[in-house]
Amino acid sequence: MALLELKGVTKIYQQGKIEVPALRGIDLTVEQGEFTTVFGPSGSGKTTLLNMIGCLDKPTSGTIIFAGQELGQLNKKGLARLRRCNIGFVFQSYNLIPVLTAYENVEFAIRLVGGRSKKAMHEKVMQILADVGLAGLENRKPGEMSGGQKQRVAIARALVKEPKLVLADEPTANLDSKTSEEVLEVMVKMNQELGTTFIFSTHDPRVMSYARRMLEVRDGLISEDKRGDGANVHH
Amino acid sequence: MFITKLAIKNLLRHRNRTLVTAIIIAFAIFYYILLDSMIGGMTQMSYQTLIDYEAGHLQVVQEAYWDEEEELPLEHLIDLDDEILTVIKGVPGHQGSSPELSFRAMLNNGINELPVVGKGIVPDLFGQVFALEDQYVEGTMFRLGQHQAVLGQRLADLMQLEVGDYITLLVRDKNKTFNTIDVEVAGLVHTSNPNVNSNYVYLPLDLVQQALNTDGQVSKVIVKLANANAAKRVAGELAGVLQTSDPRLQVFAWEDLEAVTVAKAKQAANGLILGIILIIAAIAIINTVILAALERMGEIGMMKALGMQTKEVVYTFVLESVGIGIIGGLVGVLFGVVGIWALNLYGLDYGAWFNLDMASYGIPIIGKMYGVWNPHSFVLVFGFGVLASLLASILPAYWAADKDPVKAIYHR
Repeated sequence: MALLELKGVTKIYQQGKIEVPALRGIDLTVEQGEFTTVFGPSGSGKTTLLNMIGCLDKPTSGTIIFAGQELGQLNKKGLARLRRCNIGFVFQSYNLIPVLTAYENVEFAIRLVGGRSKKAMHEKVMQILADVGLAGLENRKPGEMSGGQKQRVAIARALVKEPKLVLADEPTANLDSKTSEEVLEVMVKMNQELGTTFIFSTHDPRVMSYARRMLEVRDGLISEDKRGDGANVHH
Repeated sequence: MFITKLAIKNLLRHRNRTLVTAIIIAFAIFYYILLDSMIGGMTQMSYQTLIDYEAGHLQVVQEAYWDEEEELPLEHLIDLDDEILTVIKGVPGHQGSSPELSFRAMLNNGINELPVVGKGIVPDLFGQVFALEDQYVEGTMFRLGQHQAVLGQRLADLMQLEVGDYITLLVRDKNKTFNTIDVEVAGLVHTSNPNVNSNYVYLPLDLVQQALNTDGQVSKVIVKLANANAAKRVAGELAGVLQTSDPRLQVFAWEDLEAVTVAKAKQAANGLILGIILIIAAIAIINTVILAALERMGEIGMMKALGMQTKEVVYTFVLESVGIGIIGGLVGVLFGVVGIWALNLYGLDYGAWFNLDMASYGIPIIGKMYGVWNPHSFVLVFGFGVLASLLASILPAYWAADKDPVKAIYHR
């Protein structure tokens, strides 16, 4: 069974009396464990597509089925619950809580899910921080970390609850090329080790080369869906 | 617990804003506590003034007289005999009892006339109940049988009278016949009681009874007790005993006086006005929450993306506001305690500081004014401050937390 299915998804924004179509009818199927990039020019609808998939926004028409659950049937509370347990987010500007340490920022996500003992949560947080290469930096606050380190914390925060899907909106846009590569390596590693599905948007062709599937979005439609080889992935 | 920790950290994150808002709340609470203490002190002084110069702790009267007391009728008077006085003297904590015959009169100084209240008293007994002894500006109290009077200095000033001057009181006796009482001014007093200062003329009881044709009768007997708080209980007991010989007699405690009821109502109204100060504190909280929410819009979006529900985000903001309310409340109460302590140690001397004689304006203060300790008001205002902070934060927090997560995340 596919993890994600989009059927005829449209999104029209109302700007005063003018209707602005962001998505014009997207059909897409994503399988569990895929490492997919969404690319395309600015304003093509990449971020809108990611927001739809991430249950942050509702389509104007069409259906989205996530893990067998049709999202249109869920209310705000149900969507929040689904995000809490099944979807991780990585934002371009990290969106970490500045007063919390790296450990606490990651802990925040796992605490929301709950269902584990305090000890189990602690072990999981420490393990995921080590996995993203932040062992020893647990007590640093975002203000004391580099951009790459902050994005690693954001990735750890997205992964700590072991979600089915991680959505990353231009995760390397604020990073230099070397740091971008490091962050992408972490994402690839997590995808391979945990089998987590990743969908991320980007402009950067070098970043795209890490993906095994590339979706080009133009004018609110998927104009190209090609399979890559993940050539840049260092096994 | 995690959200509580986050709220505490957020309080420290916006340290200056937290501090400013807490100071506003603290100031409002401090102001409330201090004003409440001062109003309490003033009320207590006004009760004390009423007790010391007008009402004593108990008033023994005929019930029918009490109903018409404002008119100062010469009907429904008490036939004063030794038996009644003996019973009154027997009440627990009795310190003195003073018979009094009150009447309306026109005071004439030969040129002008002014309406006054005349009071026929027995000077020795009067001194046991009322604290006029130390309030003489000039002259002294008269003795029974003398054609003399004591009046307030303000009244004397109005009528251009001095000790040794003669005055005439035009009265109507029990049979509604006009009569006059000619007396010499024996003493002038100035008290914290505006009635004593401006309205009352004290005369020997025997002289008044003769002029009003009310032989052996008085309007009331005023009783002083050792403990003012026992007045209500003692009044009930004394009334029970007195009514066995004369069922028309009734005993009223000082708390039953109309002036006391009005003072209590005034205090309640003041509480309402002071409540407005705390509304200002609530506005400060609303402002703080809105500013914090605008600054942290991206964070709010992230929290919602992580799966936090609107009510959970609201909870984090409300917790922060409650934290500010608690800090402000504690500081305000602390300052309030110090303020009242200083007020009670040094007193507020309107006379010396502002060159004002408050008694002349009808405010029952002579010398320094002190506050009262009212722990109930500390708890009340602290609780109200925290509650106001909590309630004031809900709406702006909800406004922020209910934002569309996408708009919140990409908010700039």
